[in-house]
Amino acid sequence: MTLALSRAVMSLASRSLGTRRRTWAMAMEAEFGAAVEDGRPLMFALGCLIAAWREIGKQSEGRLIVANYALALGLLIPMAALQFQQATGFLSAAEGQPFGVPGAGAGPNPYLIWSHNSAIPILLIIRLLLGTAHLCLAWMLVEGDWPRVVKCGTLIGAAMITLSLFTGVLMLDLSPLRAQFAELAIELGAVVVFSRWHIRVLSDATPEPLTPVAYKHLR
Amino acid sequence: MGRNRRPSKQMLLLFEALSARTQQWRHGYDLMKETGLLSGTLYPLLIRMTDQGLVEAEWREPEHPGRPARHAYRLTNAGVAFARTAIPDRRAPSAEVCFA
Repeated sequence: MTLALSRAVMSLASRSLGTRRRTWAMAMEAEFGAAVEDGRPLMFALGCLIAAWREIGKQSEGRLIVANYALALGLLIPMAALQFQQATGFLSAAEGQPFGVPGAGAGPNPYLIWSHNSAIPILLIIRLLLGTAHLCLAWMLVEGDWPRVVKCGTLIGAAMITLSLFTGVLMLDLSPLRAQFAELAIELGAVVVFSRWHIRVLSDATPEPLTPVAYKHLR
Repeated sequence: MGRNRRPSKQMLLLFEALSARTQQWRHGYDLMKETGLLSGTLYPLLIRMTDQGLVEAEWREPEHPGRPARHAYRLTNAGVAFARTAIPDRRAPSAEVCFA
């Protein structure tokens, strides 16, 4: 158990160091075996994690990693939670009496109840899709997988347009979506800024060259 | 710029360990045990000293087959020269205490 935890901590430390300090990450991992033999793997791994996090603040790549985590945890995951919460609202609306979709206008409009309730399944699917896409976006951002970040962003944009069309046509009211459009614009704007930052960091960063022995170790 | 700053106690410990046998390559874990420094202190020091050209690092073939290659460290000429100036400075106060 301790060994598995130590390996996980070691892996996190290694990933935190980024490409510019790849050799140091490998150096720490290589010494991990000696720490295991000495019976102190967790202590060693925690120390390496602290060392990696101390290095993060000193490099532009490290600062980008921290900013990615902050964006994912501070904006994208709360947005995903909001979408799932909205989806739960649809589910409870579908279970109860036909009083229309929650949040659609000031009160239930008797002429729109039928269209509201017929829209529930598709709106539910779109909300769930939006929530899942936000979670994926957060994950891909932290992973630094920019092609998939673009795909997730496109999916979110498409889902929001579909949502606004359905809401506009079936409920004749786009007011509940205003705040979400603003949040989405902030979110996608932040992702674009971060992608530019990533390109700048990549062009500045020159990974440490690997010697043949290190290369063999990496394989 | 960094070299003009007064070295920390931990850095002096590391210098002492590395300057004891300047030609010998030392592994990180052995240095930890010898100096009593934790990995969270040792590796940032090694990274900084390597960036400053005081320590050189090299991948060494494993002593036993089947084991991974290990990163080893030793002082550069600049590191040896720096250690000569830095370590006596640290020992001087304790010598004064002894003779007082």
